[in-house]
Amino acid sequence: MYPEDLKYTEQHEWARLSSEPDGGRVRVGITSFAQEALGDIVFVTLPTEGEKVEAGQSVGEVESTKSVSELYAPVAGTVVATNPALEGQPELINSDPYGAGWILDIDVESTGQMDGLLDAAAYERHVSDS
Amino acid sequence: MSDALAQDLPPGARPPSHGPLHDRHQALGAKLADFGGWLMPIEYPGGGVLKEHAAVRTTVGIFDVSHLGKAELRGPGARDLANRCLSNDLDRIRPGQAQYTLCCDDPGGGVVDDLIVYLRGDDDVFLIPNAANTAEVVRRLAAAAPAGVTVADLHTRLGVLAVQGPRSAELLTALGLPTELGYMAFTAVEWRGRRVVVCRTGYTGEHGYELLPDWSNAGELWDALLAAAPALEGRPCGLGARDTLRTEMGYPLHGQDLSLSITPVQARLGWAVGWGKPEFWGRTALLAEKEQGAARLLRGLEALDRGIPRPHMPVLSVGGDPIGEVTSGTFSPTKRVGIGLALLDRAVTDGAEVRVDIRGRPSTMRVVKPPFVPAHTA
Repeated sequence: MYPEDLKYTEQHEWARLSSEPDGGRVRVGITSFAQEALGDIVFVTLPTEGEKVEAGQSVGEVESTKSVSELYAPVAGTVVATNPALEGQPELINSDPYGAGWILDIDVESTGQMDGLLDAAAYERHVSDS
Repeated sequence: MSDALAQDLPPGARPPSHGPLHDRHQALGAKLADFGGWLMPIEYPGGGVLKEHAAVRTTVGIFDVSHLGKAELRGPGARDLANRCLSNDLDRIRPGQAQYTLCCDDPGGGVVDDLIVYLRGDDDVFLIPNAANTAEVVRRLAAAAPAGVTVADLHTRLGVLAVQGPRSAELLTALGLPTELGYMAFTAVEWRGRRVVVCRTGYTGEHGYELLPDWSNAGELWDALLAAAPALEGRPCGLGARDTLRTEMGYPLHGQDLSLSITPVQARLGWAVGWGKPEFWGRTALLAEKEQGAARLLRGLEALDRGIPRPHMPVLSVGGDPIGEVTSGTFSPTKRVGIGLALLDRAVTDGAEVRVDIRGRPSTMRVVKPPFVPAHTA
């Protein structure tokens, strides 16, 4: 039920590696499980582009009608883009969490970091255990 | 994502009770949470807080609020018992009418519970307290009751279904239920051979009704309401939307905006106190506080930026001095902005600009007088 081409964190972020540009770029969002648990998302706080982040560092907040949750960087690198559509349509995270509801792009120096994340099967086990 | 995801489930010593519609909510796939010791729906699939909120403001929403308490005082002097204990003045209403009132601590004056009292007659008074406070309200009234007046906790004898929104009357009409009731009036009718009390009450600020079927008959009534709702673009609504709806009206929630340490004077509920009555719980302390002026008052906050106030966030003056605390706060689906209620130093007045400390970041908000959106209850 979770896309096989993504990696996941135990904190319910997903990460998708693309090989462009050199070194690699990782797109980050939150999982369908996370958006479902939060409910209607009404506000997203995003990092500034150019910011260097460590893996596990808080890089923003996702706020729903009823609660707020921190967003953690799944990998270390430099924030090169944030999703401009979320300013006006934060609900895209609910309706399309793996597509139009993406949150930020991080350029990484080493793609090996991705190996430390959960695959879809491991994330699904994590969700069903929690 | 942080583990705030799990915060909807507060630790409880006992597992929550199930209301009469529990199986139906599960079958609908509702997200459930503990409300005052009862496992109740927060929101429904295909809905969500924003859609459910919008249904109540524009068409009609159906809520199961059977977790609310029910109690009655019966016997000669029942009405007098209620009137010398609870804050509001029952002389203001006639049999067949309901009234918002407070059960205050005596002598302290803090609020044990806020409730609706339904006057059926001099020897027959019905109460709807909050779920978590029902046992305590019943205990205090029973202790004060004279011989001949019985105080009964009917928590699981009746269900409560709220039908709220501009098309609520159409929905009741579709079921053959009466709708021509003045605000806060109620009447008992037969529906499919079973008794249902229809009340023109609610917690949303819209024209609406609360229906009281027998606990065992609540399912059939719920099913009929849900079956008739789609033709009116209505939908089932959870307690998540109920909270955003009541916050937009500035209606207080006990446990947040009212408590044993927050008096009706501070919460600006003086209109629900019969000041001229010779006796009610907390009278001496509340009269003194009213005379003196409360040190802090409950006021509305509306964000001027993207901040969303949440309970317990500190409120600061523009200069950075602490001036109070947020008691309720959410995103207003109607205004698309953060709104809340806060207990603020008495010197702070409507129109003032203040700062709310949102997890270390200041958000600028204006002090306003609720409601945040116009009420349509009358």
